[in-house]
Amino acid sequence: MQLFLTQILNGLQLSMLVFLLAVGLTLIFGLMNILNLAHGAFFTLGAYCGVAIAAATGSYWSALVMGPVLPFVVGFALQLLVLQPLAERGRSTHLDLALLTFGLLFATAGAVEWLYGSAFHAIPTPALLSGHVSLLGLSYPAYRLFIIGIGLAVAVGLNFIFDRTLIGATLRAGVDDRAMVTALGVNINVLFAVVFGLGAALAGLAGVVAAPLMSVYSQMGIAIVVETFVVVVVGGLGNLKGSFYASLIVGMTDAMSQAYLPEVEMFAVYALLIGVMIVRPQGLFGRVGRVA
Amino acid sequence: MNALEVKNLRKSFGGLEVISDLNLVVPFGQRRAVIGPNGAGKTTFFNLITGWTPPTSGDVWIEGQRAVGRPEKIARSGLSRSFQRNMFLEDLTVLENLRIACQASHPCRRVFWRSTSAFGEVLERARMSAERMNLADCLETKAKHLSYGQRRQLEVAIALCAEPKILLMDEPAAGTSPSERERLINLINELPKDLTILLVEHDMDVVFAICEVITVLSYGKVLATGTREQIQQDPVVIEAYLGCGHARG
Amino acid sequence: MSTEATIVGAVSERAAADPVKQSQRVARAVIVAPVLMVLALPWISTPYLTILAIEIMIAGVFASGINLLVGTTGLVSLGQAMFLGLGGYGIGIGASVLGLPLWISVPATLALIGVLAVGIGAVCTRTRGVEFLLITLAFSQLFYGAAIKLRLTNGSDGMSGIPRPDLSFLGLNSDNPMVFYYYVLAVTVLAVAVVWRVVESPFGSVLAAIRENERRAVAMGYSVDRYKIGAFVLASIACGVAGILQAQYTYFINPDSMSWQLSGEGVLMVIIGGATAVTGPLIGAAVFVLVKQGLSVLTTEYMMFFGIFFMLVVAFFRGGIVGAVQSLFEKKS
Repeated sequence: MQLFLTQILNGLQLSMLVFLLAVGLTLIFGLMNILNLAHGAFFTLGAYCGVAIAAATGSYWSALVMGPVLPFVVGFALQLLVLQPLAERGRSTHLDLALLTFGLLFATAGAVEWLYGSAFHAIPTPALLSGHVSLLGLSYPAYRLFIIGIGLAVAVGLNFIFDRTLIGATLRAGVDDRAMVTALGVNINVLFAVVFGLGAALAGLAGVVAAPLMSVYSQMGIAIVVETFVVVVVGGLGNLKGSFYASLIVGMTDAMSQAYLPEVEMFAVYALLIGVMIVRPQGLFGRVGRVA
Repeated sequence: MNALEVKNLRKSFGGLEVISDLNLVVPFGQRRAVIGPNGAGKTTFFNLITGWTPPTSGDVWIEGQRAVGRPEKIARSGLSRSFQRNMFLEDLTVLENLRIACQASHPCRRVFWRSTSAFGEVLERARMSAERMNLADCLETKAKHLSYGQRRQLEVAIALCAEPKILLMDEPAAGTSPSERERLINLINELPKDLTILLVEHDMDVVFAICEVITVLSYGKVLATGTREQIQQDPVVIEAYLGCGHARG
Repeated sequence: MSTEATIVGAVSERAAADPVKQSQRVARAVIVAPVLMVLALPWISTPYLTILAIEIMIAGVFASGINLLVGTTGLVSLGQAMFLGLGGYGIGIGASVLGLPLWISVPATLALIGVLAVGIGAVCTRTRGVEFLLITLAFSQLFYGAAIKLRLTNGSDGMSGIPRPDLSFLGLNSDNPMVFYYYVLAVTVLAVAVVWRVVESPFGSVLAAIRENERRAVAMGYSVDRYKIGAFVLASIACGVAGILQAQYTYFINPDSMSWQLSGEGVLMVIIGGATAVTGPLIGAAVFVLVKQGLSVLTTEYMMFFGIFFMLVVAFFRGGIVGAVQSLFEKKS
């Protein structure tokens, strides 16, 4: 029972980490129809920025705040200066753009390895959160609870932005009809780039947040991004709420299989995905109704 | 037995009923037009009988056989359609487009161990269908390089490759110039007389030039069916459609 | 070498149909010269080049299989390396666990890959576009995970001692790079000829129709799902053949041969070669292997340059080398 409860919390913590990545990927796909395979690169980038800032300032909190800045800038520039012009020139379909970002994922991992070597790095857990909290008769690491909190905060915050603000309304309209938003006088290219940057920043945030728990190494983004893809497909490509629920499903599946069925740990989530694709190819929370 | 029978066909999207209790009988060899104001449900009706959209209820009978299932099955059962917007294998030549279309009804279509050149009869049929639609001069042209009028001809030619008993044409003359339109009408009128044709068209000149019987659709229901004269004098039709149609034409 | 003769025959037949005699002679020279060079290569070059040629041919078979999906059918898969790995593991398990000779384990492996590909293809082809890309990726990760976890495959250490074919009845030893070269050459020619045949067949033209306009193919009366699964199966078997060759070449197989990156490399070769031509994948494989070799001489940061190279090719070189040459000729004429 203790193990079960711990694994539920671990699953929740993993879910929130994956959600931080998946929500950006979903946002980018829903709005721009770009499958950003390089999303894991922003995770790596955020983690390394966090490591560098934490080492320079000695403060986890400044790393948490500053870490996502570089991913934001890179994501913004990538969309505005590379992906958008290519899409506009009609040179590349969304499949080509996906392949381009695939190259970027490996280029980033390689570049990080070139700069930092293949050694493992870490950010020390901040003193404030280094203890354990007793919860339901368990002693659970405070830092992991903090991750759950961050994930939930981002989910609630995004939900608020989307449902209640003008920016959210514009974005929702943009998902449905791009031309419509342009007609409203919004500079859609800049808006898209900002959203791309925001998605990248969330991935970077996930990288910083994960750094005290997971080892920071050049290919960390490649490892986690595939799990993120599982989330966005299970949730239905481009579906924000779906990505939250799917993060929970995937995170729990992963945590439970680690605890109870370690033999299948490496592929339980993929089996889940394949099961979903057989039953509902459009994803569990995806929109139905595409004619063959 | 008729070429096409539609019985109690219904289709609703969410709460909106686009086709409500539609009945239609087309005898063999008839040239029938389906007209109606925008939003009358013509395109949905087409998609329903060709299997692209599943009906909410009701059935379609092709030559006394109930037509159910996916569009490719219905296409193979003798009902072929042309599309309103051009849908070609753009990067392939006209001949390739037609050859692949003809091949669909040939047993060789699943053969992967012999070259296409081993099946000359398919190629021969493709050439014939090109000639029938006046495309013999541009067999080696890629579909994407055709003129607009030629594209409309190719659209019909591809639909004919399946050697259908019933041909459904979705606005075959849409966007053509007057001379292109006349050529297209002549080509369609030269098709074998036993071919049943169902035509959805906005252009009344095209309708009158091709079809002897006209069905008027409005809000997913059959408003009236009859000859040109009967339709033109039907007060309900004038009210719903022809009034504005004439004003526009 | 009889298969090769057939190919040369088929090509010169085509050239014979050409009304202009000069171009016929040029075409024949264009075909015959490389064939002679390929045949004589181990005798006229260094052992290093022979080994490079072997790597190019194996990559070429892999790329030809992927091209059947990506180039011919228009289905971009990022998971074909799973079949490459399955090929290698198939004969690896056959030899070291079951003690089977190659003449049983190779056909059995390919048959198993075919059966698996029917199932996997049936699931994957329910989706299209980027979703297809993601689900093929997920399947390959599933096998990758299984290869690491299973005791049967010896986990991440991989399996060594993969047997090369026993050619002693010909008085030859396939451990000799020159002998192995001709073995790989024969298999490559056979595999590429089969892929070529498929592309040029009625079945292959349906695949092209699906690539060009799937809805139209449906309207023509084709059950497109079956054709897509068929393409998936044939492509996967070709990738399996490449995997068998690869494992025999290195005497070794490990989970890395099922990795995501390797699938991407295959797609890259196809893009470099120009997705639509039959010769494209071979040219793409040659360019890729040579560039990779060159990079490994210059730098240890292969991954970074692989990524940059990949991006540049996708962004600026979409038609591939064959496409670029073709458009050059089209402009001239």
